[in-house]
Amino acid sequence: MNSIKRSVYISGIIIAAGILIGAVIFMKQYNKPHTDVHSADPDYTLTATSLLEVFKTDETSANSLYLDKILQVEGVIKDISAVDGNSIITLGVENSGESIICNMYPTENKKVLGLHKGQKITVKGICTGFLLDVILVRAVISS
Amino acid sequence: MHRLFAGCYPGQGSNQQLKIITSKMYSRFIVLLVFISCNSLLFSQEKYLTRQGEVSFYSHTPVEDIKAENKQVLSIVDLASGEVAINILMKSFLFEKALMQEHFNENYVESDKFPKATFTGKINNLAEVLSGDNHVAEVRGRLTIHGITKPVEIEAKANIEGDKVILKGKFMIAVADYDIKIPAIVRNNIAREVEVSFKLEHLPYN
Repeated sequence: MNSIKRSVYISGIIIAAGILIGAVIFMKQYNKPHTDVHSADPDYTLTATSLLEVFKTDETSANSLYLDKILQVEGVIKDISAVDGNSIITLGVENSGESIICNMYPTENKKVLGLHKGQKITVKGICTGFLLDVILVRAVISS
Repeated sequence: MHRLFAGCYPGQGSNQQLKIITSKMYSRFIVLLVFISCNSLLFSQEKYLTRQGEVSFYSHTPVEDIKAENKQVLSIVDLASGEVAINILMKSFLFEKALMQEHFNENYVESDKFPKATFTGKINNLAEVLSGDNHVAEVRGRLTIHGITKPVEIEAKANIEGDKVILKGKFMIAVADYDIKIPAIVRNNIAREVEVSFKLEHLPYN
């Protein structure tokens, strides 16, 4: 009797521990943070001109190369705007109507205020694809 | 010298005539030029574009609410023909939780295979909308998500303020219509019909 009681007791503890561990893992997964662009190393470093060129020559291969990757892009500011309190920096490409549109992280707002058109900057962000322009989201200023 | 070439030149009188003719041609040419440039100006002003349109979707279930926003929507409206073209990058939908965004991109819409959603359509009651008689634009067209194209009819609040053309609204889409498979475990977490909202503020395209 005693040994049965004990094994029930132990298996109860094991099951409870298993559920707890499962719940912790689940919560960790569920609340997993987004990629932190600030601290992450870029997967690719390139200029605005060459990035646009790659997308314009072959969008499909550019997609497989750059989508969801952290790109560090160097370019000249063509325009600075804001939508709903988030700033958007457009990096221009010479002799082209297309550009690189960078939707900045809210933490960058202060830094963006210090920038002006025509300035050369480097932006790090996650590439989501190409419409009329190449688009980066969750972008930060790296220099 | 003058006399030598005098025969070659037209007489004094005809010279003046020529001048009049050329000046007439000039003015006609200018009128034509002005007309053409005006025309092309009008044409270019019929097209309105935004690169920062907003599209979001919202799934409500008793278990959880899921919301994602995309603020990089490309939309072009042609007020001459009433045509509307919208392009959306699936990966630009940002979720509150990284896991949801991962599932959305990898499992549901397969954004590596189908990176874009598109809508092409036409404002059916364009004349009413332009005259301001009706602020609700009826847009009929084709929506492509996950590689599947379906006809849709959307009502949009249309506002033409100064040089801005604003289209706003919401509609429901059934997830199953676009062959998006949701695993049984999360079936209760994701609504069968998802509410899509859009806000597109177009400016003249030049």
